Amino acid sequence: MNNILLIRNLHVAVENGNSKKEIIKGLNLEGHGGEIHLVMGPNGSGKSTLALSIMGHPRYGILDGEIKFENEKINHLSPDERAKRGIFLAFQHPEEVEGVRIIDYLRMLVEKVRKIDRKESYDFVVARAKEVWFREEDLNRYINVGFSGGERKRFEILQAMLLDPKLVILDEPDSGADVDSLSLISLKLREMRESGKGILLITHYGRILQHIEKKRIKVHIMRDGKIVMSGGEELVDRIEKEGFAKIFEECGCNE
Amino acid sequence: MSDLTNQDAKAIIENQIETLKKRNKEPEWMTKLRYKAMKTFFEAPHNDPIIKNPLKFVVKSTEEVYPEIKSLDDLPPEMRSLLDRLGIAEVEKKYVAGIAVQSDTSIVLNEFLKTWREKGLIMESMEDAVRKYPALKDKFMGLFNPAESKLAAYHTAVWNGGVFLHVKSGLKVPVPMHLFFLIQNSAMAQAPHIIIDAEPQSEIHLIEGCTSPVLVRHSLHLDMTEAYIGNDARVKLSVLQNWPEYVHTRPMTRAVVGKNAEFINTTVGLGTGKSNVSNPKYFVQDGGYAELNSIILGQKDFYVDLGGEIHLQGAKSHGLNVSKSVIMDRSHVITRSVIQANAPKTKGHISCDALILSPKANMETYPGLISSVDDSELSHEAAIGKIKEEELFYLMSRGLKEEEATQLIVKGFVDPLLKDIPTEFVIEIRKIIELAVSGGM
Repeated sequence: MNNILLIRNLHVAVENGNSKKEIIKGLNLEGHGGEIHLVMGPNGSGKSTLALSIMGHPRYGILDGEIKFENEKINHLSPDERAKRGIFLAFQHPEEVEGVRIIDYLRMLVEKVRKIDRKESYDFVVARAKEVWFREEDLNRYINVGFSGGERKRFEILQAMLLDPKLVILDEPDSGADVDSLSLISLKLREMRESGKGILLITHYGRILQHIEKKRIKVHIMRDGKIVMSGGEELVDRIEKEGFAKIFEECGCNE
Repeated sequence: MSDLTNQDAKAIIENQIETLKKRNKEPEWMTKLRYKAMKTFFEAPHNDPIIKNPLKFVVKSTEEVYPEIKSLDDLPPEMRSLLDRLGIAEVEKKYVAGIAVQSDTSIVLNEFLKTWREKGLIMESMEDAVRKYPALKDKFMGLFNPAESKLAAYHTAVWNGGVFLHVKSGLKVPVPMHLFFLIQNSAMAQAPHIIIDAEPQSEIHLIEGCTSPVLVRHSLHLDMTEAYIGNDARVKLSVLQNWPEYVHTRPMTRAVVGKNAEFINTTVGLGTGKSNVSNPKYFVQDGGYAELNSIILGQKDFYVDLGGEIHLQGAKSHGLNVSKSVIMDRSHVITRSVIQANAPKTKGHISCDALILSPKANMETYPGLISSVDDSELSHEAAIGKIKEEELFYLMSRGLKEEEATQLIVKGFVDPLLKDIPTEFVIEIRKIIELAVSGGM
């Protein structure tokens, strides 16, 4: 199978003012097209840092190890270069961009990144927006300004649909989303997986998996910057029933 | 630019006044006003952070040739192409807007304006208006006193060009009127005088485009605008400035906003010129509303000092003063907005935001709230900062280059203030911002 993401012995530190703090401490992960990898773990275990590091956030510096995308090392690529190669991150807290209309922004994205003709970009954007419940008039609003939780998460999915990446990373696409949005996002994730994209999904809850075939799911549990346990879909139920503390105790991962 | 003595300057100004008097066949009151202003020029106070010696800008008159401009086809090619770029010619064909292009002495009127003239809309070159309408005597310099500053006095003595816009009581003009200054071959100082006289219950939107002065010889532009907004009238004045970098501009603007009237003044300073110093003043009567919006794009080593005083004179009047500055390179931008409440139940708000794109650029903002009554609500907010890292990362993670993402953020920053500007101009404004941001990076 085609190897989309390969992470070896990754160490990442976040810069905050003059101090640096290591958050990811030797993480390994491998993923292929058509797979869904769940990353779960208690707060502060490094899940969001992992997502931001793969996307190339300037404040998250790689101390050691490597991130490979389609067998090429991308450690030093800028975020836009990574995006152009086919990596997408749906943010946990999408930024508000005051004064920038959604329609202008999305057309710019599909024209510049996907090379869609100016004449076709409007219809292209509007048609896909409707699939995730944005009406044509909604597209005159500013990016994420005054959005509800569900709208924010659906807007992230819309951008993924428009950019058609190979690897989709989603950082808690379920937090703050209403039940109906959640179901829609789950359906869209299934479509993306079926079209061969690799999916890396950070979540606290199994509900987002409602429309996804169980056998396609791989689960990784993070603790203190490392993946300490991996398994199949059954791990999700266990976490929801027993909690992380008990699992860590049983596996001896507390040491 | 040798050092003129007062005597030399007086001779030059006198000569100009005589030339203007003859050329315009001016009524006596105007010539008297000019001479009186010339006298005060030498005594009036002068306080300008950049122009230390105003005598340097007193220029000699030479033989002048005024080309006849009867229609848009007679415009010089640069002007023509600018109008094309703005889609103006297209707009005009559809008869959805009125355009008056002003050259040094003549005004080009299109069919639209001719039709509206019968309904009570007057748009004349100021020279013609002064000759035709004796009543202008009370309005001309009605809101300014030549003795208040050397620049006001100099303007009054040698003003030339400008327009008189009169809207009859109750007349509502449904589409924006465009006015372009076309300054060419003039040996005079650039000192157009604009009077807006909107009678009660009238409505109009005037767009002044100072976007491309052709063949500018002089480095000082001294325009003066006096706006009389009658009771219950609604007037919008949008000014687009795109001066060449060697021009110093000193726009002088004042408005009286009548009872329950509304005046919205938006200035977009894309090219502010080498230096731009102004302090517009608005006097608002009972229940009236004045809004002053400014966009400033500080580039290169431009110096911009933008004041703005809203005087709430009547009960329940309110004012809003919003500025958004984008500063780059080594530019220096200062905003000083003042709202002064002199009557009960008044409201005012000042908002100054600045986005700094270069560590060498310099921004200062001084909001001022003054109240002489105890039941006025006045507030202000100000924020100066650079582009947020998270915002930039969000856009770059979608595949936009740093430059493209920055352009998008800057365009978004000013966008809320462009609500009254027609689309064709907004497109042009966005293009200019994109170029400036690329150049500044």
